[in-house]
Amino acid sequence: MMRKRKIDPLLLIGLIIIAGSLFLAIFGSSLAPYDPQEPVGDFSMPPSADHWFGTDGSGLDVFSRVLAAPRVDVAIAVTAAIVSAVLGTGVGLYAGYFTGRISEIVMRISDILQSFPVFILAMVLVTLTGRNVVNLIFVLAFLYTPIFVRLTRSEVVTQRTRTYVEAARATGNSEFQIATRHVLRNSLAPSLVQLSVTVGFGILLTSGLSFVGAGVRPPTPEWGIMIASGAPNIILNEWWTSIFPGIAISITVFGYAAAGNAIERWARK
Amino acid sequence: MRRYVLRRLAVGVLQALGITIAVFFVIRALPADPVSRIVGMNPTEDSIRQARHALGLDMSLFQQLLTFLGFHGNGVFTGSLGTSWVSGSTVLSEIAITLPTTIQLIITSFIVALLVAIPIGMATARRPGGKLDKGVFGYGLFAGAQPEFWWGLIFIFVFYFKMGIAPAPLGMLDPMLTAPDAVTNFVLIDSLIAGDFTAFKSALGHLVLPVLTLSFLLVGPLLKMTQQSMSRVLSSEFILYQQASGLEKKSIGRSTLRSALAPIITLTGILFGFMLSGAVLVESVFSLNGLGQYAVAAVLNLDFPAVQGVILVISVISLFVYLGLDLLLAKIDPRILVK
Repeated sequence: MMRKRKIDPLLLIGLIIIAGSLFLAIFGSSLAPYDPQEPVGDFSMPPSADHWFGTDGSGLDVFSRVLAAPRVDVAIAVTAAIVSAVLGTGVGLYAGYFTGRISEIVMRISDILQSFPVFILAMVLVTLTGRNVVNLIFVLAFLYTPIFVRLTRSEVVTQRTRTYVEAARATGNSEFQIATRHVLRNSLAPSLVQLSVTVGFGILLTSGLSFVGAGVRPPTPEWGIMIASGAPNIILNEWWTSIFPGIAISITVFGYAAAGNAIERWARK
Repeated sequence: MRRYVLRRLAVGVLQALGITIAVFFVIRALPADPVSRIVGMNPTEDSIRQARHALGLDMSLFQQLLTFLGFHGNGVFTGSLGTSWVSGSTVLSEIAITLPTTIQLIITSFIVALLVAIPIGMATARRPGGKLDKGVFGYGLFAGAQPEFWWGLIFIFVFYFKMGIAPAPLGMLDPMLTAPDAVTNFVLIDSLIAGDFTAFKSALGHLVLPVLTLSFLLVGPLLKMTQQSMSRVLSSEFILYQQASGLEKKSIGRSTLRSALAPIITLTGILFGFMLSGAVLVESVFSLNGLGQYAVAAVLNLDFPAVQGVILVISVISLFVYLGLDLLLAKIDPRILVK
């Protein structure tokens, strides 16, 4: 029977925002009207026709910086999320499918990792390894991997006893083939949802770390740095330096959360 | 029951110790040099050696760990977290000052968030699909992931700068006031002990915006959880039976809430643990001088004893919070203890 297919509006909003954020991550700095790291002359100017979002305390064009920042924020979060999803799904598949001592150890390690205070651990790791983009990606990927391990493992454990696994075994597939071809494919849904959500959290963590001075270094165009640089002046009515990058974070993170939520609803059907 | 608590405590203490030892090794294995921060520019070899000796970094890693744990004098096992490399005071005394501010902020925020989330969640669970229901869904999704430090700034801009109804975001007390004698280091409690109601009111006023910021975000997930949990219980058979038996609406509501409480409590515990380190950003925005800000300073100054101390303290607190909430869960649903 044909049913009229209606696209989930939440999915649509999420995908549009995600597409926009990825587009800016690639082309953002080319679209920027000014160099995001070169002062344009006038300090702390309110939004005008020349500088749509105004200029900050060092004379940088806020609009250009907001456009250029996804290359740092979104790129870090997306890369870290993908790395941790691939790694975590692999480890989770192994730990769920082949139970044994190694799986036990893996689960205990991810238990301990998950009970760390995330923000402080991230701060420690990034500061001590050196505050740059590559280290941030490594640290975020490391911190987010246990979630994917746990999600995939618990899904694999329920899939392992299904009849299709038995059927695959009966037709002569090796255990490795069953795990990677059949079980993995049926266990991906939770990780897919988590992937989208993790990108959002990655953006929050990246910008939060630089907000307290433990992330990438200024004058890199990065939303958290921009908010921090405008924070002391917001009570002097210089609101534009902090407000615009914050709106950018707010919308972007909401987009990834919305898409994740929509995928989850769709997968549950 | 007692065996359950003891076993949990034993496992938890081992876990906290494991975390601390892991942190101990990780911060020493990573390529950062705390000595260079202390000796300054162009140090002589002699001053470097002296600094390394003073910090105990010239010992072998294993000896450093033994010292930290308390095998040579005071250490973790004797209730000492060492001395800060930056300020020279004991880490424990610094945590004793900063931790209460954070706890005060988090607990107040949770009280506000739960007082908002539970009634609204209950109301929307009764009428699924309604306007309020959709609004709650959207809000839960939105507030589930937002830059809290930015929202804090927005609230400062609106309520302090524009409307002038909130105090300046500079600490816990009005700068003109003298702080009440420190007894517990919880400003709210200390001012009450001192009978200083001006200070109490000032502290309460300074808490409004940080609490608004945190609870604005906390309400999201709590609301979603209340709603889900309530609607699941409402559609269960024992509620149907109660309704069929003609029980009063009020008493049905009460037993629904009781059964729906478990997942809400669990979520509260998880969020609480998360907030202990997650409150860092809000503390910085409002310059509250809490544990989070102490942790930031410790990390940026490469003050290893302080970093270790903060992480150990946070792990231990989360441990007790989780345990306390599990006991509360067991009180509501004794079946948990059988497992």
